[in-house]
Amino acid sequence: MDLHSEMLLNQYIERKESFSKMQEVVTNELKSIVKDLGMLVNTIESRVKTEKSLKGKLELKGYKYKDLMDITDILGARVVTFYSDEVDKIAAQIEKRFTVDFENSIDKRKIYKVDQFGYMSLHYICSIPKEMYFDEAHPEINEYKFEIQLRTNLQHTWASIYHDTGYKTDVEVPTDYLRRLNRLAGLLELADNEFNDIRSSLDEYRRKMKSIFNEGNFGEVELNLDSFKEYLSIEPFGEINKRIAESNNMEIEEMSLVSFLDVFKKFGFRTIGDIQELVKTESEDAYQIAIRQFSGTDIDIMTNFTGPLALCYAYVVKKGSGVIGIKAILDTIYGKRDSNTRFANKVFEICKNMGMAK
Amino acid sequence: MEIVKTINGADACFALTGRLDTTTAPSLDSEVNGIIPNVSSIVFDFANLDYLSSAGLRVILCTQKAMTAKGGKFVIKNVNDTIMDVFDMTGFTSILTIEK
Repeated sequence: MDLHSEMLLNQYIERKESFSKMQEVVTNELKSIVKDLGMLVNTIESRVKTEKSLKGKLELKGYKYKDLMDITDILGARVVTFYSDEVDKIAAQIEKRFTVDFENSIDKRKIYKVDQFGYMSLHYICSIPKEMYFDEAHPEINEYKFEIQLRTNLQHTWASIYHDTGYKTDVEVPTDYLRRLNRLAGLLELADNEFNDIRSSLDEYRRKMKSIFNEGNFGEVELNLDSFKEYLSIEPFGEINKRIAESNNMEIEEMSLVSFLDVFKKFGFRTIGDIQELVKTESEDAYQIAIRQFSGTDIDIMTNFTGPLALCYAYVVKKGSGVIGIKAILDTIYGKRDSNTRFANKVFEICKNMGMAK
Repeated sequence: MEIVKTINGADACFALTGRLDTTTAPSLDSEVNGIIPNVSSIVFDFANLDYLSSAGLRVILCTQKAMTAKGGKFVIKNVNDTIMDVFDMTGFTSILTIEK
């Protein structure tokens, strides 16, 4: 290594603490951006170049840098997103919050011609503005530049595998392998777009479902996790739970009822309308089952499971499934346990006494 | 009600004998609350518990919520049939870890 490069390396060693501080500030700001956008990203990572790595770089091309400040990747940060449109949303915030050196930043997504595919990533060269962090004793923290890379999960996978080949530029890669790698890049670009479209379609589906619910057309909504969660938000079991609770002056502890989806699926229900019909036709008998369960007890607390459980008991008993049907409900909601058979028998006994059993 | 508290490192066990009701629940609640910050696991042993009232259910619910919030573990073991019925009919079974 020449004398000039050695001087740069010594500068780096003296300023290592400042780079660590920069890393902390940048990472925290990136986390804050993602949080403020209400986004879930795959990774936020950063690293300060090791002495060994910088030495290697300077040995190869130390002559290119007049000053340590000219090396812009001593600190590198990366945000890996799930969706490609999230890259743009984060990018807009980076431009707003950091001081961006646009001349040296590069959007590799835009460098390809329409018939070219390859490394897709957005690289910003930035510095930390004083409004974000300032330490009088270390003004260099606002002067050194660093790199932020933004890419999607699939772009990241492609870049990591490309990097793993050991080649730094396309010209080094044997033509056949380069063609295969670029072919994959095209495929992943397609997949990224498809993921975006799927998410947009799902958002649209959920919006549509909400309006169908508002119009009361439950029979048109297929029963699945999304529709069931949306359905639960209108508290379809609220009325039956309230009636049961009032019978014993009980307080209701609210819990997630999502586990009932499995029970309704096992009943063969296809639409939300099927559950709505269950609530409509079985509420009275479900109420009677529940109050008989609680009669003679001084229990004044129940969960919101009580109502839907009783509705399900009434449904299976009327279908003629008896103890086995009730046990199947308990197995699904509470998990398989020996005590389910005993409790199912007790519930069935109540139903039988009410004249419900076939 | 008799409460036998055993602490082994970060694990606490409360063996209860008798009735967990309005009269006795506050003392269990106080014992449990005092220990929650220092433990990662709590066991309620109901082998000798004859009766559980709503006040007891509330102590159980609070303990479950507190342990979940701190990422700890809460287990109830040796539950008799009568108490198990209470858990099943109220729906508490869905949030509790009940071991034989």
